[in-house]
Amino acid sequence: MAKLQLSGLTKSFGVVQVIKGLDLDIADGEFLVFVGPSGCGKSTTLRMIAGLEDATLGKIALDGRDVTRARPADRGIAMVFQSYALFPHMTVADNIGFGLSLLKENRATIAARVGEVAATLQLTPLLNRYPRELSGGQRQRVAIGRAIIRNPKVFLFDEPLSNLDAALRVQMRLEIARLHRRLGATMVYVTHDQVEAMTLADRIAVFNDGRIEQIGTPMELYEEPANRFVAGFIGAPAMNFLPVRVVGTQAESPGLTPISVTSGRKSATELGIRPEHLSVAEGEGDISGEVELIERLGAETYAYVRVPGQSVDLTLRLPGETRYRSGSRITLKIDWDRTKWFDEGGQVLR
Amino acid sequence: MAEPAPLPRFNPWPATIFTMLCVLAVLFLLPTFGVLLSSIKTTRDIAMGELWAFPSSLYLGNFAEVLGNPAVHRYFLNTLLVTLPATAVSIALGVLAGYVFAKLPFRGSNALFLVIVAGMFFPPQVILVPLFRLFNGLGLIDTLWPVIIVHAALGIPICVLMMRNFFATVPNALREAAIMEGANEWQVLTRVVLPLSLPALAVLATLQFTWIWNDFLWPLIFTQSDDMRTIMIGIVNLKGQYSVAWGVQGALSLVASLPTLLVFLFFQRFFIKGMTMGAVKG
Repeated sequence: MAKLQLSGLTKSFGVVQVIKGLDLDIADGEFLVFVGPSGCGKSTTLRMIAGLEDATLGKIALDGRDVTRARPADRGIAMVFQSYALFPHMTVADNIGFGLSLLKENRATIAARVGEVAATLQLTPLLNRYPRELSGGQRQRVAIGRAIIRNPKVFLFDEPLSNLDAALRVQMRLEIARLHRRLGATMVYVTHDQVEAMTLADRIAVFNDGRIEQIGTPMELYEEPANRFVAGFIGAPAMNFLPVRVVGTQAESPGLTPISVTSGRKSATELGIRPEHLSVAEGEGDISGEVELIERLGAETYAYVRVPGQSVDLTLRLPGETRYRSGSRITLKIDWDRTKWFDEGGQVLR
Repeated sequence: MAEPAPLPRFNPWPATIFTMLCVLAVLFLLPTFGVLLSSIKTTRDIAMGELWAFPSSLYLGNFAEVLGNPAVHRYFLNTLLVTLPATAVSIALGVLAGYVFAKLPFRGSNALFLVIVAGMFFPPQVILVPLFRLFNGLGLIDTLWPVIIVHAALGIPICVLMMRNFFATVPNALREAAIMEGANEWQVLTRVVLPLSLPALAVLATLQFTWIWNDFLWPLIFTQSDDMRTIMIGIVNLKGQYSVAWGVQGALSLVASLPTLLVFLFFQRFFIKGMTMGAVKG
């Protein structure tokens, strides 16, 4: 197991700089998840750690050893690809044992190791099958098997679950979490699915435009986002944002009862409220509007509320069974202690 | 009362196309059929002028004469000595260059690829005299070397084109996965990419083998003695001094086409698609 350090890591394609000087320490045995929108640089960073892309500038160190220019195979890193990347002409056993066969291990050793790995991943009955004869989840397990057989120091996962259906994704998520607990290995996991990030990560690094916006535990990012981007990216459904104007000590927004703000929030231009921090007011409330749409998920219901003067609907979390319908009038209370205030640059105001 | 459904309008195209294809098939098969008929007739039957008539009896003497002729054995051996190495070399170079163009592009690689592929459009007549002079200067005329070298070289463009295009369909993630497992580029090529490229290799092997085996021009230019002739020149050489031995020539033509047929039959089992199925998502 290993400690991974990225310092001043930069990647340019021609004149376009896609990774803009990353500094990151990943602790031994940590499960770190990179999240961010498409094109934010999370996969490129992972590929630089793997050695599949050269870093333009900066340093990658593994247990203090500089591996920036080392060949991928010499880094002691294994990677699980989004597309599984199984060799279609090889059986499951040959796929898992491929790395050992390249090392010219003898057949008995390879067969024994493949057997051990297959047993841990419940792949033993499938060892003689070809990838085309496997389901998506089984293929992903084979890809994981191929990664763990060489006892790598670091595991990299590049959106490994994005090709699976929703039910299988939940199951595989659990398997990856179990694998991490069992191996205690350092794992770096790329996803754009923030539910995966929240459930798997020890820490999450939120990427945007080639930079890390914030890094922290899932709940730190959820409760204390550093800026509007992180606040909007972490949490599903996403945080509601209302434009505000502070006049004197009062913040105003169309449809919102004016609220007094502390001196630190006088430069606020936006108010952020998570859906679960809005509740239905039986009497007087902070904001009212008309229910535009109801989405029933069973255990809970999301209501989208149109507020006169606001360009975007407010999302509200309700119990599974609710009397509200499209077109219902609704008055809402805001849990002011949990709201976030953002300045023009998107930074959180305390 | 319901209106009777109108009759569908007669579409003449399927019938026209079918008729045209039948005519074309007959046009292509007729000469082969003529050769087959000649090969099983006696010289006397042929001399009677009934070229398209069925023989009065099945005569296999032409085949016996061809197969027992030591010169024919030599033609076969020479043709094999040219075809096998030239096919192997052109495909090997096509594989190596195609892999680089498809998986390891460099600055200017697309332009270089186009230059190589443009080689396909050179008419051989343009390079015939310079090549003759070159090999004459090297003292290689009337050996098989110039035929092998020229065929290997002329095969490179089509081999590079086909292999590059096929390799481009092999997902990059497979190469990267192999590299992460510790493979070098040679191991990626030989253990991952080539085994997935059997259909392309089979097509190329069949095409190259057939072209080189059937070639008449280059052996005619570069070889002179009967000992160095290949099978296609041999067919012509078998004519008599004063008359054409149609029966023997027909028999040799059929025997000479057998290896290409065998090569096709051997490789056609690899002409399958879907080798990469299951490699990546899906």
